[in-house]
Amino acid sequence: MAAVLPADAPVRQVQLSALVVMRLIKHSTQIFPTPATGCLVGMEQPKTATLEITNSFPFPASNPDNTASVTTSNPMDPYHQADQLALALAAPRAKGSVSYQNEMIKYLREVNVDAQGVGWYVSCSMGNFVNAAFVENQVFYQRATGEQSCVLVFDVGRSSQGSLNLKAYRLSKSFMEAHKEGKFTSESIQKSSLRYQDILIELPLKIHNSHLLTSYLHQLPNIPTTTDSLTLPTTIAEIHRNPSLASNPLTPNLDNLDLSIDPFLEKTLDQLLESIESHQTEQNNAQYYQRSLAREQAKVKTWKEKRASENVLRVQQKQTPLPEDEWTKLFKLPTEPSRLEAMLVGRQVEQYARQIDGFAGTVTGKMFGVRGGLVPGEGL
Amino acid sequence: MSRFFHGDSSSDSSSDEEELYSGDEATKAAEAESSEEDSSENEGDDSDSSSDDEGGKTGASRFLREASDDSDEEDEDKVTVVKSAKDKRFDELEGTIRLLENAQKISDWNALNENYDRMNRQLPTLQRDLDGKAPKMYIKSIAQLETQVMEAFEKQKVTPKKMNPIAQKSMNALRQKIRKNNKEYMTDLEAYRKDPEEFMKEDVVEETAPAPKKPKKKLLDNDTTLDANDEGFTMVGAGGKAMIYTPESILKHLRTILEARGRKNTDRLEQIKIMERLLDVAVTDYQRIRVLLMLIATRFDLTSGTGSQMSQEQWKLAQQGIAQLLDILEEHEEIVVVDSGAENPEDDEKAPEPSIKGVLEIPGSVPSFVERLDDELTRVLQSIDPHTAEYVERLQDEPSLYSNLVRAMLYTERLKANDKLTVPQPQESINRVIMRRLEHLYFKPASVVTVLEEGTWKSVPETLDSKITPRSEGTDINNLVQTLAVYLFKNAEGIIRARAMLCQIYFLALHDQYYKSRDMMLMSHLQDTIASFDVNTQILFNRTLTQVGLCAFRQGLVYECQTALQDICGSQRQKELLAQGLQIQRYSQITPEQERLERQRQLPFHMHINLELLECVYLTCSMLLEIPTLAQAGSSPELRKRVISKSYRRMLEYHERQIFTGPPENTRDHVMQASKALAAGEWKKASDFILSIKIWELLPDSEGIKAMLGQQIQEEGLRTYLFTYAPFYDTLQVTKLAEMFELGQQKVTALVSKMIHHEELAAALDQVNGAIIFRKGVELSRLQSLALTLSDKASGLIESNERVLEQRTQGTANAFERQGGRGGRGGRGGRGGGRGRGGSGFASRGGGGQGGGQQFTGGALGSAIRAQ
Repeated sequence: MAAVLPADAPVRQVQLSALVVMRLIKHSTQIFPTPATGCLVGMEQPKTATLEITNSFPFPASNPDNTASVTTSNPMDPYHQADQLALALAAPRAKGSVSYQNEMIKYLREVNVDAQGVGWYVSCSMGNFVNAAFVENQVFYQRATGEQSCVLVFDVGRSSQGSLNLKAYRLSKSFMEAHKEGKFTSESIQKSSLRYQDILIELPLKIHNSHLLTSYLHQLPNIPTTTDSLTLPTTIAEIHRNPSLASNPLTPNLDNLDLSIDPFLEKTLDQLLESIESHQTEQNNAQYYQRSLAREQAKVKTWKEKRASENVLRVQQKQTPLPEDEWTKLFKLPTEPSRLEAMLVGRQVEQYARQIDGFAGTVTGKMFGVRGGLVPGEGL
Repeated sequence: MSRFFHGDSSSDSSSDEEELYSGDEATKAAEAESSEEDSSENEGDDSDSSSDDEGGKTGASRFLREASDDSDEEDEDKVTVVKSAKDKRFDELEGTIRLLENAQKISDWNALNENYDRMNRQLPTLQRDLDGKAPKMYIKSIAQLETQVMEAFEKQKVTPKKMNPIAQKSMNALRQKIRKNNKEYMTDLEAYRKDPEEFMKEDVVEETAPAPKKPKKKLLDNDTTLDANDEGFTMVGAGGKAMIYTPESILKHLRTILEARGRKNTDRLEQIKIMERLLDVAVTDYQRIRVLLMLIATRFDLTSGTGSQMSQEQWKLAQQGIAQLLDILEEHEEIVVVDSGAENPEDDEKAPEPSIKGVLEIPGSVPSFVERLDDELTRVLQSIDPHTAEYVERLQDEPSLYSNLVRAMLYTERLKANDKLTVPQPQESINRVIMRRLEHLYFKPASVVTVLEEGTWKSVPETLDSKITPRSEGTDINNLVQTLAVYLFKNAEGIIRARAMLCQIYFLALHDQYYKSRDMMLMSHLQDTIASFDVNTQILFNRTLTQVGLCAFRQGLVYECQTALQDICGSQRQKELLAQGLQIQRYSQITPEQERLERQRQLPFHMHINLELLECVYLTCSMLLEIPTLAQAGSSPELRKRVISKSYRRMLEYHERQIFTGPPENTRDHVMQASKALAAGEWKKASDFILSIKIWELLPDSEGIKAMLGQQIQEEGLRTYLFTYAPFYDTLQVTKLAEMFELGQQKVTALVSKMIHHEELAAALDQVNGAIIFRKGVELSRLQSLALTLSDKASGLIESNERVLEQRTQGTANAFERQGGRGGRGGRGGRGGGRGRGGSGFASRGGGGQGGGQQFTGGALGSAIRAQ
């Protein structure tokens, strides 16, 4: 991430227990494509400046079966999904969730689990998580539970490609300050020199297995024994039938060699185009504002000049001059639209661009591999 | 006054006195300049209203007099009557009595009461005039009134029906008043009651007796002057003055009229009458010309207002006047009417002297007259409904106007060649006339022009001929327009030149010379400058462009036609652009002033380009171009955005949205349904739809055009078919295609080859087997098209960002680039300096050193060094 982690931050890295990862994946894939949200519990280690996340539970609103309103509504309704999306995204801030969270934490404490709310998680598809609701949620958490709280973003779409995609983010200090003031005019943004890159800070993530788990993993069958002469399979069926591949979950599987980049790129490009479109909308809004502002200012200027000349005349005629600041009452300058949305769109575009970069990187690597396999005589 | 009461047989005891009185006045003022205002001022009354009254009365009195059949008084018939104050009072009384009678008829008691009071107020002054006697008509009316009131009162008593309280009150008051008032006129009333006829009659006798005397006396007076010259003529002018029109006084009269011109309350019709008489009287050509000049101008003045048009009668008279003027001028070459360089002699008495070179110059402008005549006809035609017989009737005046134009042209031409004039005549007037002539020709087909020309040359005297358009070449119409236009190219400039050019192009396009007209249109470069011309020229430009488009269509050039018509027809404002009717736009706010101007600009109907035909041609062309393009675009969003004709697309979309489409009713429906059929590959159906449009009959050679359209539809149908169904074919026999579209194999091969060459079709032509082999998988994948879109979007984004930056920095130049700019400049300076130093170090201390110094220091110091 572009934003560098400040040296004095209370938390500099996040440590996840494998349990949380598994729960997260389960919850997210279950209710995909609706984004899943839930609460993270764990504790802070000030000594190592690490945030240890040891457990998680989903928010009820994000689970459609739990809410009466959702069950009654027709699932075929075209607005159904949009409703659910909004509902799911608003869940962490909702009053019901807060009380639910408190209750849950109480119960967890009773069973002797780390019972400190340290953040929340959200699932997304192809990195489309940067929006106003996301920021609002995180602001809410960072205000309520302190600066250390962070958000885990699990990308279902990308994870399905083969590698786990999990990121931890936090809002930057400068953004929090700007948000406190509550307005994002160009002036205030200029003053705080806030850029779209500065909104989010990514934290390094570490997955920690308990000793019990590690010992269990060690009991699992080992990596296939390496033989000197590799008998290459002649058909795909042969690969599938290979006992050492089929039975062993830890052997490298063929999914990693998947070369079909097109669907992912298409999806990302679609989203990118959408973002650019909304950026254009924002830009048009801003331009409209600029124009109307200029118009109003010109009006005010002519009025002021008129009033000034009138006053000169009145002074000459020994009359009391008229007040010169009446224009504030007569003219109403248009209010500037918030620039927050534009900034978020900028951040989102950056996110997509990074993603494409990532895809291209891995696929290019695979491509080279394929080439090496196909043309053994040259290359590599 | 007396005249007025003749028919009424009412009384005016002292009309003789009155006549004498006015007669006195007239003799007094006989020598002085007379005008109506003068006499009305004498009466100390409001001059405006009085003169208006008189105008009306003149008409009425004249009418009554004819009925009286009094031959002696004939001479006075048309004279403006000026009345004395007494006469007016009588008029007022008369008016009041008439009101009373009206009120009696409808039993409006309230009005009766009021008018009765008013009548009584008017009475005393009249009685004074009549030596204390009440006027007879007064007696008559009060007698009638009394009877009616009594009757009404009796009736009121008997019938239970209640009257309106106000009316009741008025009636009672009136009854009281009448009873009191009538006592005074007891004797008169009794006399009237006894025998109304007798009572009124004695008055008539009394009155008519002196009437015939007076005019006789006057005639006798005039006879003395009449004796002096035979042609002399007597008129009784304003204020009863004698107006004597003699050849000597013509100029004086003209001067009087000239002075009255433009003033308020000038009766122009009266002036025209006077001048018509003057024209009869005039003996010399000089006088005739002078009178004619004035007369024509006054006729045009009749309708100087914006709303009114010249009546046919007046227009014809003006036209004849101009013809007469031209007759005289053609006959007498020693007299000329010129725009500049001549002045009317101050002294009317002396005969005008010809100038040194033997030419008598009279100020005036023949071109202006003809132009005005033309304008007036246009205005009339604008206001008449074009579908009436009246329009045709007025349009029949055009040949005479045209012959006037030609003669005026001949005249100005002669004038230009005439070297005897004191001041050479400007080229401009002849240009103006030629332009007018051209404007009467350019929109007409050759056959019509031929008839017009022949008729015109017949009306022009044999002796006259034109250098610009010789009589002998009059039959070749193309040549005529060409000659006129070329003359204007050579001699005129600015707007007239542009107009001449447009007229010629229009004429060429009308006569199917597409390439010539297109080349001229392009060479003129008018499309760059047309915005700076006046609106009428812009309209002409639009008309010309439209005509060129139609010409292209007649030649079967669909693409050219569509491009030419695009601007006019695609705008939805055809009517406004071609000045063929007002288009009320819903959301536009035009002031009445603008609307009036707009109305003035409208072309007369016979010059219109048929808008329906235009629309039909445009839509058909758009269809022939759009349908294959749409088929080619398929579902690709980017290609779909390439729109040829927006209005056509809109219509097509609208048509597609309709749930039920009935059989086509109008042109648009026909074209739309044809489009649908064509898009589906059913070219036969499309062709049927298009060819069943009736409006094609309006075009010359409609059969040829229909054949052309059929051919085009076949070809475009083939293209559309290939675009639409190519993905479903692997190979396709050319013969099969030829059969489907009833085209020759060669034609099909040509079309397919063209499409392959333009990369519109991914295929190859197998000439051995006579088949088209389609290639597969050459379309862009979704990812590719998305990537293309993205690159477009991104570049758009960059552009808009740069625009914003530009906007922000325009005031403070390179405010944003300050850092980079400075760095860059510093670098450049350093490099320059280095080179400079290198130069001075390397080369000898000559120019190289100096150059280096300049480069190094630059600016002021550099120039200082150079100065050394």
